[in-house]
Amino acid sequence: MSVSYGGDSIVFADGSVNSSGFIGHRNRIINGAMMIDQRNAGTAVTTDGAYPVDRFQAYEDTDGTYSAQRDTTAPAGFVNSLKWTTTTADSSLSASQYSGIYHAIEGLNTADLMWGTANAQTVTLSFWVRSSLTGTFGGSLRNNVGNRSYPFTYTISVANTFEYKTVTIAGDTGGSGTWLTNNSAGIKLFFGLGVGSNFSGTAGAWAGNNYLSATSAVSVIGTLNATFYITGVQLERGSTASSFEYRPYGTELALCQRYLPAFNAVAASDPICSAYMQSTTAMRAVFVHKVPTRVAPTGLTATAGSTFQFSGTAGVNGSGSLSFLGASTEVSWFVATMGATTAGVGGAFLSQSPFVACQILLTGCEI
Amino acid sequence: MKMYKLYKTPFGKDAALTVNEDGSSTSFLFDENNPDYQEYLKWLAEGNTPEPADQGE
Repeated sequence: MSVSYGGDSIVFADGSVNSSGFIGHRNRIINGAMMIDQRNAGTAVTTDGAYPVDRFQAYEDTDGTYSAQRDTTAPAGFVNSLKWTTTTADSSLSASQYSGIYHAIEGLNTADLMWGTANAQTVTLSFWVRSSLTGTFGGSLRNNVGNRSYPFTYTISVANTFEYKTVTIAGDTGGSGTWLTNNSAGIKLFFGLGVGSNFSGTAGAWAGNNYLSATSAVSVIGTLNATFYITGVQLERGSTASSFEYRPYGTELALCQRYLPAFNAVAASDPICSAYMQSTTAMRAVFVHKVPTRVAPTGLTATAGSTFQFSGTAGVNGSGSLSFLGASTEVSWFVATMGATTAGVGGAFLSQSPFVACQILLTGCEI
Repeated sequence: MKMYKLYKTPFGKDAALTVNEDGSSTSFLFDENNPDYQEYLKWLAEGNTPEPADQGE
């Protein structure tokens, strides 16, 4: 086996690369292989701001419409991609309209890049992409408030074929913008799929503007039934793209749950958490997060109350909606209306039996 | 037609609950960082009025 040295990287005989940035946990992107979809389990989303997979958000503020979801179309070595389909075209975007895929990296995970200082580190973005359209596509990196941004371009040469892209970006050393190093957004990554002129700038240079993409980039939202797939997204320190960092699935899921504590039942009577009957019909439950969250949740979305049950001295089925009561970064607390049973008894909050799909998503932790 | 019902948490915080078209429900504190609260504000801005909280809540 042979290796070669390329400045800040080691290239192995099989073409894989290790960069000097980090050995292990190189990739600042969470769920870059698009495998984890706690919200939808692969079902399509269509609304502005929805998450087709964990940590990746679809923006569509145009006169068009879209559908996006986790898909099994993927390049070799991957099993999933994020697929966007334009379902109503908007071929004449106004200056302030935009669409695309957004991913925020928490500042605690970008602090070592020292952006906004003279010591700002270079980063390299890499990803696999496929589209029914060809040409020059765009995207950007931005700071939290959007007064520093770096538009970039990449070219898709062949339609309907996955291509591997890399973009190396010198860290932002100047400007008056602030790059947060706390639990808010440190770096915002955007893949433009049609962006108006107000949010499009010159590629390859830092600007004191809120640019989402590059000027004259291909508009996927502009063509009916146009498709765009992306996976293997990696942002790492250094000037060379290393091989995609596959983290263990459980690790990647835990990373996602910092931003979305969730429960998805897989069988009848799946235990969710402990609970007690505060009255004959009001059940209060304490849901311990598997991972401490970025910030305390501030709400929840759950399947109908009838998809749940309480098992105390006797089992009773849910009959009303779940209502969020409060949370810390460690625990959430909610109430549900149940069939009448004995007040004061403790027990378990469970999925329904026989099994029906049930889900609890704690909200407010995403960036 | 979407409708929200107001309630207060045991610690007196304002919150709202809505039942979605698919039978799921969404509840949230009046926290500006919660996306569902932002959607609720837009709904209010359209001239809608939520159901008041139950007595004693």
